[in-house]
Amino acid sequence: MITISLTKKNMLLGACGLFILAVVGIGLFFLYLNFAFPVKHATGTHLAVPDQYTDCVTCHTKVSAQVTQDWREAKHGVTLVKCVVCHGEPDGKGSIPFMATPDPKLICSRCHDPAVVRMEAKYGNSADCYSCHAYHQNPVHSNAYETRVPTTQTTLDQPGQGF
Amino acid sequence: MKLSRREFLKGAAASTALAAIGLPGVAAAAEAETKWVKGVCRYCGTGCGVLVGVQNGKAVSIKGDPNNHNQGLLCLKGAMLIPVIYTPDRILEPMIRRNGKGSELEKVSWDEALDFAAKRFRDTISEFGPNAVAYYGSGQALTEESYLANKIWKAGFKTNNVDGNPRLCMASAVGGYTTTFGKDEPMGTYYDIDNATCFFIIGSNTSEAHPVLFRRIARRKQFNPDVKIIVVDPRRTNTSRIADLHLHFKPGTDLALLNGMAHVIIKDELDDYRFHGRHCVFKDNDGSERTFEDYKAFLAEYTPERVQEITGISAENVVKVARLFAESPNTLSLWCMGINQRSYGVWANNLIHNLHLLTGHIGRLGASPLSLTGQPNACGGVRDTGSLSHLLPAGRVIANEKHRNEMEDFWGVPRGTIQPTIGHHAVALFGAMATGDVKAVFIHCTNPAHTLPNLNKYTPGLQKAFIVQTECFHDAETTKYADVLLPAAFWCETDGVYGCTERRYSLTEQAVQPSGNSRPVVNIMMDFAKRAGVDPKLIPFENAADIWDEWRTLSNGSPYNFYGMTRERLKKESGIRWPCPTEDHPGTVLRFVRGEDPLVPADHPEKVFFYGNPNGKANILFRPYMPPFEPADADYPFVLTTGRVIDHWHTATMTGQVPELRKAYPGAFVEVNPEDAARMDIRNGDQVVLETRRDKMTFPAKVTDTCMPGLVFCPFFDKKKLVNRLFHDAVDNISKEPEYKICATKVYKQV
Repeated sequence: MITISLTKKNMLLGACGLFILAVVGIGLFFLYLNFAFPVKHATGTHLAVPDQYTDCVTCHTKVSAQVTQDWREAKHGVTLVKCVVCHGEPDGKGSIPFMATPDPKLICSRCHDPAVVRMEAKYGNSADCYSCHAYHQNPVHSNAYETRVPTTQTTLDQPGQGF
Repeated sequence: MKLSRREFLKGAAASTALAAIGLPGVAAAAEAETKWVKGVCRYCGTGCGVLVGVQNGKAVSIKGDPNNHNQGLLCLKGAMLIPVIYTPDRILEPMIRRNGKGSELEKVSWDEALDFAAKRFRDTISEFGPNAVAYYGSGQALTEESYLANKIWKAGFKTNNVDGNPRLCMASAVGGYTTTFGKDEPMGTYYDIDNATCFFIIGSNTSEAHPVLFRRIARRKQFNPDVKIIVVDPRRTNTSRIADLHLHFKPGTDLALLNGMAHVIIKDELDDYRFHGRHCVFKDNDGSERTFEDYKAFLAEYTPERVQEITGISAENVVKVARLFAESPNTLSLWCMGINQRSYGVWANNLIHNLHLLTGHIGRLGASPLSLTGQPNACGGVRDTGSLSHLLPAGRVIANEKHRNEMEDFWGVPRGTIQPTIGHHAVALFGAMATGDVKAVFIHCTNPAHTLPNLNKYTPGLQKAFIVQTECFHDAETTKYADVLLPAAFWCETDGVYGCTERRYSLTEQAVQPSGNSRPVVNIMMDFAKRAGVDPKLIPFENAADIWDEWRTLSNGSPYNFYGMTRERLKKESGIRWPCPTEDHPGTVLRFVRGEDPLVPADHPEKVFFYGNPNGKANILFRPYMPPFEPADADYPFVLTTGRVIDHWHTATMTGQVPELRKAYPGAFVEVNPEDAARMDIRNGDQVVLETRRDKMTFPAKVTDTCMPGLVFCPFFDKKKLVNRLFHDAVDNISKEPEYKICATKVYKQV
């Protein structure tokens, strides 16, 4: 007969084993869920295109709604300066490197060079623009225009809008 | 150093990115060595100034030119222009099809390719006469290229078969300006955007087609929310996002709206009697002079109620928009292809001018009818140099003997060299190729196998005629038909002038050496022409700068006077607006205005002087409402329209090379209104068939309320789905511009 001595070490091992089993179990459960109930969008299927990497908004409206909404209602959104222009492409194969936080020297200066130079002259060489200009609020991604209701649509919950 | 997995991944990504030197944007890593070369964006008619960053002879980055009108800003296409230069898709060697169409393109030497092309042109001319050859150019060609081609074909080969894609895009705007004001090109500039108090945007999706201009309009609205923006468009595009009033109407009925607005303006006595009484004459449709009372009688039928019946815009809104237009201190009209690409495009243009003349919203900062251009050099390169089948340089026309003689004298060819009859316009040219009347064509910098209307009818012409093509990208559909394919130096690999919407000429300087074996097109053309038998004395140029100097000299004394824009000056300054007669002249903002326009005498008794017309007055023309060529009917109940998306430009031969832009819209789609979609059970991504009287095609659906019910939209950039096969080829009677914007179609879900 095997006796299990409840030493401290064994307890730890058991707990670890249980934890791993639980993690694997939960993982398998979600895997099963994915197979059994594939994700469907409210208004139908995605646009039938294999590699729509740069239609960021469609998904980001759901996964980071606030940021997307901020962008959409700010100057960059109204004038359709899309995500990839500053952030690059997630797969890194775009024409600029993928950056969650764009480097102002590389990215912002492409359009706002005069402003970057002006600010540097005023406040010296700062590590980035964002310590003062919070990038998901004023002024990059903020409410810029009074009238900004493009269509009768008032929500962002339609996929494939392509902004 | 301890790194979390996430930090490690981030670091790895950054270092990989940095290692890939040559990618634009990474350039600042070695900023000190970057040389910035001034130029103009390659894409749209906005004509934004750019600076190309060059390291070790390679273009690595791009930024906006802060001194040009765009104030350093670029749209997403312009910001990603560099990868286009180094795409593997570039044509780098001359190629010929020795065994005719369908055979393989074979790499050959420049000499062989040019001789092969020139011999065919020589033989064709000697056997069938000069009108069996033609040139089909582009609003993207450099001014020097278009001027040179015009001279080679009209005075060298002695044929007027010189036309180009501006016929498909700007011809109606040209017709509008010339019939109303006597001379082409707008009187306003982009400054008007900063000063207008009311924007009347009709038939233009400025937001996607001219993003940097749209930003300027939005900025005006942001700083002064009282500024009114009216957008009139059957599609509620992103442009309408900043609009106070969006009007959608039955496609093709806007002529009735414009006349209805004039009706309301006169009825409410909002017209500027002092202005039109002094500076305008009223003319009937046949050109005979009429009075203001006649005009009132002509407008009598366009009551708001009648306009509502025709257009679907409520009578109340017709009155509202007319009052906004007239009562605002400075009204600026902006329009583009929605007005131009129409079977009554010139008339629609005239009607917009009418409103401005009637209310006196013209000749002041902020008050102007400003036609937006689609291509970067349709204005400067093609309209001004007269590189169309009925024009000669600087506003001259072929039909006028005096004009022909002036050009013959200037070019040093015997009088009578230039044919008195006009050549084939674009659509007719491809028709003539199909019938065999035109046998050899030189195509430069454009993609007609993708862009012609009713394509199925015109591809046989491309199949039949001998095609010499100067092109940068294999991706262009037309290369399939090319017998001789000559590699052209791209954009900043050569130097030349672009002239944008606001009469502004800007120089793109050469930043890098031409890729591979490609050459500047002016050199290709001259070499080809000499081999094809054109007198070398006619083209005594070394490079583009020499051609520019000749064209500049020719402009001196004409209404297009830009004699003051020397090459040196253009290198120093970021674009200058003509008229600019002397080197110390700063360029003109308000054309036709005393004290502003150097061509208006300083002692002219009136403030405004429309010197384009012999009587010094502008015409208010009686243009009745006419329906589109093919309205929707019982059999084909939907209206199909086409246009651009912001990510792609024209046929995507350039934007298709940029990964981000390609992936943003990998393919064409059809926009369907949710109401229509619900009725037909169409959902996002479903395959939907569009069937017109010409052809039928299938597209994935995009259900959105951008289009009004009864209207579907399909962009035209996708070469796998040549949507132009669906459109008819009816052209405007005056401008010969096809009606791309409206045709009747059936829409149903594919089963």
